[in-house]
Amino acid sequence: MTDVSDLAVELKDVELSLGRAAARVHILKGVSLDVLEGEAVGLVGPSGSGKSTLLMAMAGLERPDSGLVRVAGTDLGQLNEDQLALFRGRRIGIVFQSFHLVPTMTARENVALPLELAGAADALTRAEAELRNVGLGDRLHHYPSQLSGGEQQRVAVARAVAPNPAILVADEPTGNLDESNGTAIVDLLFALKRERGATLVLVTHDLALAAKCDRTIRLRSGRIESETLKTGA
Amino acid sequence: MHGTLKNPLPSAPEGRRSSFLALRLAIRDLSGGIRGFGVFIACLALGVMAIAAVASTSRGLSEGLSREGRRILGGDASFTLTHREATPAERAALERQGKVSSIATLRGMANAGDKGAGLVEIKAVDGDYPSVGSLTTEPSGATSGFLALKDGQFGAIVDPVLLARLGLSVGESILIGQARVELRAALVSEPDKIATGVGFGPRLILSQDALRASELIQPGSLVRWGYRLTLPDNANADAALTTTLAAIAREAPEAGWEVRSRDNAAPQFQRNLERFTQFLTLVGLTALLVGGVGVANGVRRFVEAKRIDFATLKAVGAPGSLVVAIHMTEVMLVAAIGIGIGLLLGAAMPYLLAWSLGAVLPLPFEPTLALDELAIAALYGFLTALVFSILPLGRAHDVPVSALFRDKIEPDLRRPRAIYIVLFLAALAGLVAVAMLFSYNRQIALLYIGVMGAVFVLLRMVAAGLMRLAAALPRPNNPAARLALANVHRPGALTPALVLSLGLGVALLSALAFINTSLTRQLTQNLPDKAPSFFFLDIPNTETARFDAFIERERPGAKTERVPMMRGRIVSLKGIRAEDWKAPEQFGWILEGDRGITYAAKLPEGSVIASGQWWAPDHRDGNLVSFDREIAQGLGLTVGDEVVVNVLGRNISARIANLRTIEWRNLGINFVMVFSPNTFAGAPHTQLATLTPVPMAAGAAPTSERREDGLLLRNLAREFPAVTAVRVKDALEAVNGVVAQLALAIRGASGLAIASSLLVLAGALAAGQRARLYDAMILKTLGATRARIIGAYALEYAGIGLAAAVFGLVAGALAGWIVVTRVMKMAFVADPTGALLVAFGAVFVSLLFGLAGTLRILSQKPASHLRSL
Repeated sequence: MTDVSDLAVELKDVELSLGRAAARVHILKGVSLDVLEGEAVGLVGPSGSGKSTLLMAMAGLERPDSGLVRVAGTDLGQLNEDQLALFRGRRIGIVFQSFHLVPTMTARENVALPLELAGAADALTRAEAELRNVGLGDRLHHYPSQLSGGEQQRVAVARAVAPNPAILVADEPTGNLDESNGTAIVDLLFALKRERGATLVLVTHDLALAAKCDRTIRLRSGRIESETLKTGA
Repeated sequence: MHGTLKNPLPSAPEGRRSSFLALRLAIRDLSGGIRGFGVFIACLALGVMAIAAVASTSRGLSEGLSREGRRILGGDASFTLTHREATPAERAALERQGKVSSIATLRGMANAGDKGAGLVEIKAVDGDYPSVGSLTTEPSGATSGFLALKDGQFGAIVDPVLLARLGLSVGESILIGQARVELRAALVSEPDKIATGVGFGPRLILSQDALRASELIQPGSLVRWGYRLTLPDNANADAALTTTLAAIAREAPEAGWEVRSRDNAAPQFQRNLERFTQFLTLVGLTALLVGGVGVANGVRRFVEAKRIDFATLKAVGAPGSLVVAIHMTEVMLVAAIGIGIGLLLGAAMPYLLAWSLGAVLPLPFEPTLALDELAIAALYGFLTALVFSILPLGRAHDVPVSALFRDKIEPDLRRPRAIYIVLFLAALAGLVAVAMLFSYNRQIALLYIGVMGAVFVLLRMVAAGLMRLAAALPRPNNPAARLALANVHRPGALTPALVLSLGLGVALLSALAFINTSLTRQLTQNLPDKAPSFFFLDIPNTETARFDAFIERERPGAKTERVPMMRGRIVSLKGIRAEDWKAPEQFGWILEGDRGITYAAKLPEGSVIASGQWWAPDHRDGNLVSFDREIAQGLGLTVGDEVVVNVLGRNISARIANLRTIEWRNLGINFVMVFSPNTFAGAPHTQLATLTPVPMAAGAAPTSERREDGLLLRNLAREFPAVTAVRVKDALEAVNGVVAQLALAIRGASGLAIASSLLVLAGALAAGQRARLYDAMILKTLGATRARIIGAYALEYAGIGLAAAVFGLVAGALAGWIVVTRVMKMAFVADPTGALLVAFGAVFVSLLFGLAGTLRILSQKPASHLRSL
């Protein structure tokens, strides 16, 4: 039996609906899931199965209608909007399919942002180090519009790992990239996970990418359909 | 061998076909709805409504004046003389043409014994009054009955203001000169009020017998005699009236009377109405031009939203010009909706006014559907829509299809094709031409357009400067401050729209505040230092020594000034009749009606000789006159020119000996024309005096001053029944009342301009919400609290608001200074209190509007937005 203290993420009977009135759709239907510290979990499933919503719920970006979401020992249901934001800034790193960089800030400033928000005095220096670490030492002062898609996603990854979060979540991190850039980003994500001992949860359509994870969870119609452990894991 | 297509496609549509195609596609596209055009439509509707409402209301007043011309004039024509009654021959010349009635008007004092005395505007009427229209009194009854001599007392109808002022009631009696009159009814309305002018005191209507009994009519008394001619019903056509006037001019060529006909019953009022209408139209145009910024923003947003449609159209073979034509047609169709709403509301305004205020309006008002005025307002609307939409739409012409799908953050900075710049300039020229063509004073219209253009350019420069400054500043360590700074200069930043809308609003409001402060200070607070507290009219020449002694007794040590006073009308200048003299609009008044004139041996106080020489004290050789320099130059007169003036029924010729620069603002006695004493030797006249009090002790209460003045008036009325006293503060209060009413109308029209700028502001902020939403959601995701995000946006909005407010304050002060010193010729009071309040208000409004939208954003969950972004 798994000790609760070893859990990075604990979901219990999570129900979540989106939309209003007639347009309301029941997305997550009683999902329960435990993710161990340091584990890499891939969420797969057809479009509309609820995998991205499940990821958002883990990151505190979506509040479930009922059920428990505990991340790094904190029950997210007990936090208000601002407490959630502060928690995310310190404990969760998020990588989006569409990068979501602040267009008016340079690469360095984008990476420094969560550190500055968390009150780190050496935010800019650490940001520079993170960018060098992802191979963008020569792009520190470039704006997002001056970077390629692959470079933008590297900045996003550097931003996500900069505060040394306990959990790294990634929503289709290669969805907007070509094959070589996608491979590079995946390698980078796993390398950084290993390097910092973080837990990684990622959503993907790419079964090869999911296969790199310790565990693959398949969702269908808002429920966990199956779980597959990596061979040799 | 080359093959040919069996059914080749037709060449690109041209000319009419292209126009129809553009219209068809535009209507098809619009059938999906006009979402996103709310501010665009509202801006146009508001501006067009302002112009249409001003024009329609003004037309209603003009129509009222012209339809009621006979009633206002009291007949088909009126002939007015000053100082004297018509001679029997002159009266006979009038009576040969129709029925004649007469009225005499003058100022006098109502002496109510212990209750005090007060200035009244006396109207002495004959038994036929009113020959046209009706007099309304409380209680109602026959006018002649109220005024008749009963039990040894004449009757009077009195303005209730006098009753309240002196604590009198109907049934009591007062002394007018030497005559005791019983107040028999309160005046509700008089039909000829506008034509006889609005005075400083309340109206008192007497019979002419009562006026004669009062002994107020002395040689040289400032009395005006008006003769109203009513033509017989069978000779009532306009042509007959012209013939009649010509016949009277032939029969009484030397009468020197001021002639008015029913189609021009209140020329001064009509002229003021036209001036004021132009002013309010320009304020309305301001609302429209400010709204133009909202139009441009709306079109820019429309172009942004339609990028994919443009690309699709181009991809399937539409040339750039057709793409622009389709969307220009759409924009103009939507503009038509806004203009239509504006026209409807504007046209309804006079009817609404008549319905709500008709009963209490002191003016004849005839609500009219002025189609020509509405057409002009619509033209203003379409031209404004064109001016502000051509360039944003024109930029879409050359954007390659592939570029349309590129990064949205990068702005499209390319210059539109020359054809669109030419079209823009043509539309702008059209707008200027319309404003000039339909203005009362083209010089003012041109000046206004120039100022507006300069303000627009300056505000663009301020916005560009602010963006450059924000980009050049070192990047703050605080991420909120950094975000705020970046938002000021980011591509597609709100800065230009915010600076333009706020800056224009603040400039307009602070200019009005500066003008208002200067005007109020001029009319009230400047007075105690140098202005007289009383003017005394009609002091008989024989009583001057006794009058001086009276003043010395009543106000020991007070400064008095006394000069001879007559009324005279300019008949000709340099041998050309006054009515044929081409005078600039702002100096025309001097040639109309009669003016106060005097004679003096020495140069009057407050005057400086600008050219020529003052005459010797004992000058006898020929009549000389000294002219106000500015007016002489305005009329095109100079030293040596000949002027003929009709005084007391005689034409008197005089040569201009010198021009004087006059300091009018100290309210001392001064005249446009001062004659050499020999000119009027032996002519009967009265004296005009001023009383400047000893400065009051500090802390003296205004109520005690009023009581002292009341006592002086009472004693004066007892000892000098024929002398009229005008208390300067009362007169200025009357002027202030008129100014306050005008200011209300100006504020009403300006309010629309301000509403327009707020609309533009709200629209611009709404347009920026998407970018804000994006930033806010990312910041929230990365750990920013709501307070932190609000702080960043508050910094941004306050910074832009402050820059716009500072510019608006400076521009408003400059505009106010120009209006006060150059147009109103008054001293500018640099008291920025009102303007500063406006500026603070602007910063507050920008914060309020900006944060209102942001707060809504912050209450939302990030996930749904991050998914769709």
